This record gives sequence, structure tokens and C-alpha cells, in this order.
Amino acid sequence: MILSRVADGLYWIGRYLERAENVTRLLLVTEETASEVVGLDEDLARAEWNDLRVIFPGPDREDAPPRHPAALAQAALAELSIDPRHPYSILFSLRKARDNARTVREALTIEVFVNLNETYRELEAYDERRIGDGPTMRSALSDTHRGILSTAGAVEQTLARDPGWLFLKLGESLERVVRTVVVLRAKLPALASQEPKVDLPLFHSRWRSLLRGLSSLENYRRVHGARMEPADALRFLLFDPHTPRSLRFGAAAVKDLLEGISGAAALSAPARIMGKLAAELAYQGEDELRDGRYLPFLDHMLDELTRAHETLSTTYFGT
Amino acid sequence: MNWAPATTGYDEVFEADGRPRSHYAPLISIMDSLTPEDVERRERLQKLALMNQGITFTVYGEKEGLERIFPFDFVPRIIPAGEWKTIQDGLVQRITTLNLFLLDVYHEQRCLKDRVVPPELVLSRKEFKRELLGLTPPRKIFTHVVGTDLIRSETGEYLVLEDNCRCPSGVSYVLENRALLNRVFPEFFASYPVRPVKEYPTLLLDALLFVAPRPSQSPVVVVLSPGIHNSAYFEHSFLAREMGVPLVEGRDLLVEGNHVFMRRTHGKRQIDVIYRRIDDEFLDPLTFRRDSLLGVPGLVNVYREGNVALANAPGAGVADDKAVYAFMPELIKYYLAEEPLLAQVPTYVGFRPEHFRYMTEHLDELVVKTTGDAGGYGMLMGPFATRAERERYLAVMRQSPGNHIAQPLVHLSSHPTHVDGRFRPRRIDLRPFILYGDRIRVLPGGLTRVALRDGSFVVNSSQGGGSKDTWVLAPREP
Repeated sequence: MILSRVADGLYWIGRYLERAENVTRLLLVTEETASEVVGLDEDLARAEWNDLRVIFPGPDREDAPPRHPAALAQAALAELSIDPRHPYSILFSLRKARDNARTVREALTIEVFVNLNETYRELEAYDERRIGDGPTMRSALSDTHRGILSTAGAVEQTLARDPGWLFLKLGESLERVVRTVVVLRAKLPALASQEPKVDLPLFHSRWRSLLRGLSSLENYRRVHGARMEPADALRFLLFDPHTPRSLRFGAAAVKDLLEGISGAAALSAPARIMGKLAAELAYQGEDELRDGRYLPFLDHMLDELTRAHETLSTTYFGT
Repeated sequence: MNWAPATTGYDEVFEADGRPRSHYAPLISIMDSLTPEDVERRERLQKLALMNQGITFTVYGEKEGLERIFPFDFVPRIIPAGEWKTIQDGLVQRITTLNLFLLDVYHEQRCLKDRVVPPELVLSRKEFKRELLGLTPPRKIFTHVVGTDLIRSETGEYLVLEDNCRCPSGVSYVLENRALLNRVFPEFFASYPVRPVKEYPTLLLDALLFVAPRPSQSPVVVVLSPGIHNSAYFEHSFLAREMGVPLVEGRDLLVEGNHVFMRRTHGKRQIDVIYRRIDDEFLDPLTFRRDSLLGVPGLVNVYREGNVALANAPGAGVADDKAVYAFMPELIKYYLAEEPLLAQVPTYVGFRPEHFRYMTEHLDELVVKTTGDAGGYGMLMGPFATRAERERYLAVMRQSPGNHIAQPLVHLSSHPTHVDGRFRPRRIDLRPFILYGDRIRVLPGGLTRVALRDGSFVVNSSQGGGSKDTWVLAPREP
């Protein structure tokens, strides 16, 4: 077993790394979607960026966000990539991950630390003035994305499967499922309303970008083919048992890790909370879908995940 | 390459006629074959490796959490086997004496009664811990880890500048410098029998296990660090990783029923040996400083009961006091009936009125240091100070004469160092590391610190110093 402080540090490395990955991916997807549709439907481009600001809320600002889609895009890109004060910027998350890694470095491997450190340092050195240049920015974000994934790869390839690993993966899994809930909560009200009579292709491309934003588009196609059916896509994101960012998969992953940590004989409080939630998603969840009842269910999930996180702190971290 | 021999002090590499000393000749010839582009490219690789691996230290007094790399100079410092033998024997003699002195000071105080050292001088040090009188640390070892700073006189003689008996730092750079040089300039090693330094963590762990109170029950060793904001944090983490033991902070530990435990996710675990990198003052708020948040309440009591070993032992700091240093040659003779094998720098002790008067009258010739400080803080380099600086310093000195010592400026030896694309002589010192376990061992190597600024005498990392890989050569086969 490991020090409570070290477990806490590893848990947050997992959370912040996963968060940084989510923000990077969603920025890349949003940037691509919004810049493609801006000539066709300016409101839609704006909506894409505004959704992102809801998913990753920043500090309260006096001034309203820019109206012009290009200015809005630039502002959101700057905030969410390299603004050191924005609590959801990639830089902020990577710095937090790295700070935690420095305090528990003896529990990591050199590969994990070096990958994380390099990724952070490259982004930190990024020149803010180049944000306006789309292709350059996209390439920098892709580099960061690659760095984060290679750090996750180093975790996979080099860390011993000991309790420390369980806590790191727990942070990652919990962050992942929380983020899926938050993304769905922000995106679904607009998407799941009546299908529009006009411009069905555009509507479908928004669903596709939602799937891509949760890195599930290719997984979805392998199950349902290229045809976009919103009901299928929604069911996929909620209940698919194999795609790592579906809610069912995510809740089960958190539950398994918590059971691994507490031991099956005497389940801890967070393990019990997640056990119930995973069972709901596994056995009765599909009914919740009908008539837009998924929204209260998403709220319920978010409450339970928050509770799991809080009891985790009191159970293991002594905070 | 364009080499420039030193103009003052001893030149480590070149003879007076400009030819390299025999043990440096192969290195100089390899380096002469490198182009400036080679050197530049490799130096870039080396800096990148340091940054990416996070081999950094924190500078105090600048904005919080500022990380710097400890500048590394790739021209290695080479110590032939014969020279090393003298250093090693001298250090073993010194560390033996320091421990006998500590045992004496905390028990019978014979050396004070016999007036080898003035009693008032020792007893007035804040590093002398009255609370620990009569206490014997496990296996009578006070200083498990010592870093002794050596410099060289103008004739090349090694002189002891000071002993560090509390939490000497720098050994992580000894190991990292070696790995780094081998990565960037592997061809340097081909023509030299360089003794390895990688054994250090194993030897350190052995020395720590040697003092465990329950040796039969697979003792638990931890490294205790003040935390990430400490300037030597990298080293604390490095040593914990290399030894494979937990790195803990004060808040991870608790005392219950006269034992010390660490808080874990599933219950607590008893600790046997603490390699602490926290000063005495902060170790235990119940015994020493009450406002310390870094320490562990009750720890000293557990130590007193013999239920945990602390390395280095609390109270050991009185032995490396800069005023006590002045008496080391006498102490060696007193305890061992031997002549000191290593010379040291003549020292004026402010505690003695006649010395203090001399110090005040010759301030422009002397280097003055405060007895409590380390890391180059609080010192005056008389010959280089302005009159106003000397006046200001003098006013401070007069407030507490006993806390000051002075030494004549020793010119330090110089070593070619790569600065701004050229090889220039820069002043260096040497900090070997000595471990005291079942016996005293000196790591064959050490931290060579280098004053990177032209003309500077100050090698401390906090004051613009860098470091070099330090090679101790194996004796040649007969």
C-alpha cells in the first residue's frame, strides 16, 4: 500500500492528464467543425464555440464573448490552450499534472515523467501571437495531443500494476466519464430536439462531430455503419459496452478500479456508489432514454460521480 | 582548440609551461579533435536532456517555484589515484574525529574540560542541542552522510574548507553528471579507468539500514523532505527513487505510542530509519521550533526512546560549525593521536577577542563568513568588497562577533571550462561524499563546483555556480 499523499498525487495526475487530453481533442474537433461551417451557418459556428465554453467554464469575465465567429474562435482557442489562469486550459491541466508528478516522482518512471515534462514545456513555450494562424495552431495542438497520448502510453508501458497505478487510472477513468456526461449535458438539448426539415446533412455532421469529440466516431461506424442515426448515436454514447468514452464503459471502469483498490471483500463507500451507478447503466438504463428523460439521468450521474470523488478523498487521501 | 591556462592560483590541467599535466593529456588531445560545431551541438543536446528530465533546483528569493537547471560543464575534472588516496584517508580521519567529538560533546565533554576547544564556544552554538545531552544515537553514529568541501592551494595541496554534517546536498548531481557526460561525450571515457559512482544509493541504503533499531524485521527506511519548494527537492526525490524507498513529508508521518508511522491509503506503517533532509530546527515542533509545519510532533521523543534512527542525528550540526572547524587539527590529534592528513585554511574565530580585532583591522584581506549560514549566504569577500560594503558588514559583525569567522582569501584552483564557445579557466572546488555505516566509505568521485563568472570565487549553485563530472581514476595495474 502507498502513502495517502502519493495516492492523492497519482489520482490527480490521472485526472489532469485525461482532462488535458479531452480539452485538446475537443479544441481540435471544434476548430475543424466551426471553421468548416462558418460560411454556411454562422450561428452554428458560434454555438460550437459557446458549447465548449459551457463544457470548460472559465473564470467570470466582465465582457461578453466576441460576436464575430473568427474572434470568438480565437478567444476560445487562446483561453483553452495556453491561458495559464483558465482552470480548464491545456496548459493549466498539464502544469497541474506535472506539479503533482514532481511531488510523487519516486512513484513514477522516468519515461512517464520525461514525456509529461516535455509535453508541458513545449506548450509552455508556444508563442501566443501564433494562435491566429489556424494551421500552425492546429499543428501545435496536434503535437500536444501526441505528447499527452505518449505520456499515457508510458503509463501503460512502464508503470507497475501496483496500488499507485490503480489510483492513477482511477483519476483518469473518473475524469473521463465525468467529461462525457458534461459534454452530453451541453450538447444534447440542441441535438436531440426535433430533426430539422432542411439541411439534414449539416445536422448529421454535428452528430458526427459530437462522436468525434468523444473519440467514438470510428467505433460507432464499426457497429452501425456510416449512416448517421441520432437515436443510435445517443444509445451508443450512453450504453456501448466497448467504446472507452461511453457512459456504461466509463462507469464500469471506475467501479472495477475502486473494487481493485478496496478489495472485493469489504467494499469502500466510493466503490458502493459506483457499483450502483454501473448497475443502473448496465441493466435498466435504456428505458431512461425515451422522451428526453436522459437529461435528469445525466444530472443524477453527475451527482453520483461527484459523491464518489468526495468519499474517495475521505476514504483514502485523508483530506 | 584555444586553451588558456590560469593566471592566478593552481591550474588543474596545465603545467606552468602550458603543456597539459600527464593525466589530462589524453583528454586534451580528444578535445582538440572536436570542431566548435560538434561542441555546440552536443552542448545543446545536453541542455535539452537536463530540462526534459527535470534535473533542476529551486532558487530562493526569486519568484516562487522558479526552477533552474544546474549548469553543467562538460570538461571533466580528473583526480589521479594517488591524489585520491590522500583525500580518502584524510576524510576518513576527519569523519572519525567528528563523530568522536560529537559523542564527547553530548556526553562527558572531555574536550571542553581539557580546553581543546573553549567550552563557551561550543555551548553557545545554536546547533548545540542541550535537549540531546546524554543521548547516544544507534551504533554511536552521528554523521551518516557528510559532504566535505575541499579546495586547492596555489601549490596544488588539497585543503579542507568546511565539513557539512547536517544535510549535505549535491550527490544527485554527481550521479546525473556522470550519466549526462557519458551520454553526450562518450568518447571521453575510452582512455581512462574512471571509477564508477553509481553504487552510491546502494551504499547509502546500507548505511541507513545499519542503524535500524529492529534490524531483524526488514526495517522500513524513508527519505524525509520539506517538500517541493525546497531547493534540493530534486535530490530528495532522486535518492528515494534510487534507493526504492518512500519519499515522505512531515504531514505523511505521525507519532503514536512512541513509534513513528506513515499514513497510507490502507492503514499506517511503522518506520525505522528516517534519512531526513530537514534541519534540526524544523524536525519536531514539540522539541525545537514550535512554528515548524515541516516536522513531525513527537519525533524526537521516539528517537530518544531508540525506536527510530535519524540520519544525520539531531545535534550533529555543532561539528560542522565554522568556528569549531578552526579547532579540527587539534581535535584530530586529541582523539586519534595522529597528525591531520589534510591541511585546512587558517581561520580567525570572532569568538576570540584578539582574533576579532585582527578581523576588523584586516577586513580588506579576509573572507568573512557567518557561522550559522551555508550556501554562500551571509558572507563577505573582503578583497572584492567596496569600502561601503565593508563598513556595512562590519556593523553587523560587531553585533555578534562570536558568529563570525574569517579566512585569508585562498585562490582556489582553476580548470578549463566551456564558456561562451571558448575554454577559459574558472575556479573550482570539490565536495566528496562520505558515508558512515559499518565502516566509513568515501564515494570515489564528488561534486566539482565551478564559478562560471570570470574572476568569481563563489561556486554555490545559488550564486551562479555550475558543476563538472569528477573522475577518480583507478590505480593502474602493476
